[in-house]
Amino acid sequence: MLGGVFHAAVLFLAAAGLQLVFGVQKILNLACGSFYALGAYFGVSLVTWALGAGVPPSLFLGVLILGGVLLAVIGPPVERLLRTISDRDESFQLLLTFALVLMFEDVIRFLWGTAPHQLGSVYLLYGQLKVGALTIPVYNLVVIAAGATIAAAVGWLLTRTRFGRLVRAAAENPRMAEALGIDLARLYSRVFTLGVALGTVGGALVIPATAAVNEMGIELIVEAFAVVVIGGLGSMRGAFAGALIVGVLKAVAIATYPEVEMLAIYVIVIAVLVLRPAGLFARAAA
Amino acid sequence: MATTRRNFLRLLGGASAALAARLDGPPAFAQAGPVKIGVLAAKAGVTAPVGESGLRGTQFAVDRINAAGGILGRRIELVVEEESNPKDTVERFRKLALQTRVDVITGVVSTGVGLAIGPVAEELKTLWLAWDATTQKGVEETMPKPRYSFRSVDNEAEAVMASILTAKHFKGKIKTVAGINNDYSYGRDNWAAFLAIMKKLGMGVTPVVDLWPKLGETNFTSHVAALGQARPDLIFCSFWSGDAPILMKQAHAAGLTATIRFVMTTAGGVHESLKKAFTPEGMILGYNSMYFEAPNASPLLREFVRWHQERFKEWPNYESDHAYFTLAAYRAAVEKAARAAGGKWPSPDQIIEALEGMEVESLSGKRSYRADHIMECSFFQGLSTYRNKHDFVTVDPLEVMSTRQIQKPSGLGLYEWINSWKA
Repeated sequence: MLGGVFHAAVLFLAAAGLQLVFGVQKILNLACGSFYALGAYFGVSLVTWALGAGVPPSLFLGVLILGGVLLAVIGPPVERLLRTISDRDESFQLLLTFALVLMFEDVIRFLWGTAPHQLGSVYLLYGQLKVGALTIPVYNLVVIAAGATIAAAVGWLLTRTRFGRLVRAAAENPRMAEALGIDLARLYSRVFTLGVALGTVGGALVIPATAAVNEMGIELIVEAFAVVVIGGLGSMRGAFAGALIVGVLKAVAIATYPEVEMLAIYVIVIAVLVLRPAGLFARAAA
Repeated sequence: MATTRRNFLRLLGGASAALAARLDGPPAFAQAGPVKIGVLAAKAGVTAPVGESGLRGTQFAVDRINAAGGILGRRIELVVEEESNPKDTVERFRKLALQTRVDVITGVVSTGVGLAIGPVAEELKTLWLAWDATTQKGVEETMPKPRYSFRSVDNEAEAVMASILTAKHFKGKIKTVAGINNDYSYGRDNWAAFLAIMKKLGMGVTPVVDLWPKLGETNFTSHVAALGQARPDLIFCSFWSGDAPILMKQAHAAGLTATIRFVMTTAGGVHESLKKAFTPEGMILGYNSMYFEAPNASPLLREFVRWHQERFKEWPNYESDHAYFTLAAYRAAVEKAARAAGGKWPSPDQIIEALEGMEVESLSGKRSYRADHIMECSFFQGLSTYRNKHDFVTVDPLEVMSTRQIQKPSGLGLYEWINSWKA
């Protein structure tokens, strides 16, 4: 169960980036998976470097989050590129963002090679929690807490701040928003960068528990899309609920009937598509 | 690692420089120009590290052969193409055979791709020396008696050896077993072979859970929870890529490695990532057909390990040796056939005849091709240990078994063969 929630926390961050960008800019950004993979690789390098430079190991979580945020600098240029096709057919967006996925894969291969990269021992630095016969790494709980905190923070940002009001206005009616004096180009750039940061921070956060492998981005996109279909495209609450459903369902399937691990998720996806084609939270856009 | 591509360009550059140099002198042979060798190597996806490792072994072999004057005086020129999905890779195979007109093609790691290439090699009458790509089920059906394909060892050989070692080390100590293997033919076949051998050897074990994550999965927290719930005495796993260290790390974090015995048949493919921090001692760990730190390593293996470490800052794994062997065997076969043909460059048929039964020194020791075109070599497994200079586990004692012991003989099905063992 907890394993499922851990998985859900990571899935949420990646799917949230996808949702935010789609909700506001109507760009279906497949490259969200690449940002996740880049965050993971960059996180490994940054923490390895930081530990070598004498940063106390217990601060590695801070280093990882910082790395994820720093890496979001790739957001504006990528957004600038995507803007060139923002008013074209959706298939162009899919093609271009998929091309980005392939290019980022090559970038990773060029910079980090093909062998898996990982952080050896920091995973257990925060200890393990024993609950009856169960042993839970505290770091898993940290990631779950971080996912929940980020979800709350993004929710607050979108509903309670001036930036959030502008974002929602632009999502609702971009022409009107522009007419009222909102600098759409700047807003889009910021929103996209926030979306990138959700992905890169997600990748950086998960890396102590796993290893960075080149295909992790594509793997995640597939599941993120299941999340998005279940939750409803463009909805933040949908991303949250969808990630929880996918993560927990997978865990339950593995614990009870492992053969249907993948099938279970797609059965739900199909059910949602048939019964509620717009997803569970389609109306609560951005 | 960051220099992968650069090294590769250097390799290609070296090959073309060699070609240019050749043009200066008179052709040493009737067949002028370099020997063109096509290589199909994966560069993306889960198999990329394996493809990379094969390319390194290829590079090492070509450097050596060219430094020694090439094959019968003809230098080797490599033409590298990518192994991707079966359809595209078959197209590249055709291109290498028909357009580039290479003399021989090596490479291919995925069984799916290998099965697609087999018939094409026959159709084009193009010699193909595979690095890997031989899960048995499909091979038996679609490549029963190949002439132009020379295949690797059975993919189940590592499971057979690991099962025999499980019986040797853990008999009487385990009652329940669990499997976690990738959900495709390799994972399924390995688990089935393990269970069949447990039964044959009278281990009296009961499987309590078998998990089938898809290839490329990077989160096993739920699988580890399920394994923790089932509490088996032993976990059998045939992961060979980045998922192996991830599983170990998450299993260790959940306290599984303290009480449960592990068998990792093929994780030696990513041995450097099995850090001591989370990998237990006393686990059966397989390195397939080459072990970089063999106590009685040949001068050739020592030279290769040194070359690999200096160039890539990594310790090599087995795919390099598969690749090295294909080239060493090809060279030896050409030279042997040429001797029989009065010094002329031999025809493909003559080379095939020479390859059958050909034994050469490879990185891991003597290796050969059986008459049915399947490799014979040694396999290396052992119990994991921390007693080394690295931050990852190695094995001690190292156990070595020949494929003559752990690979089904020509003409017998895998289970037919296992059932024929004398108890």
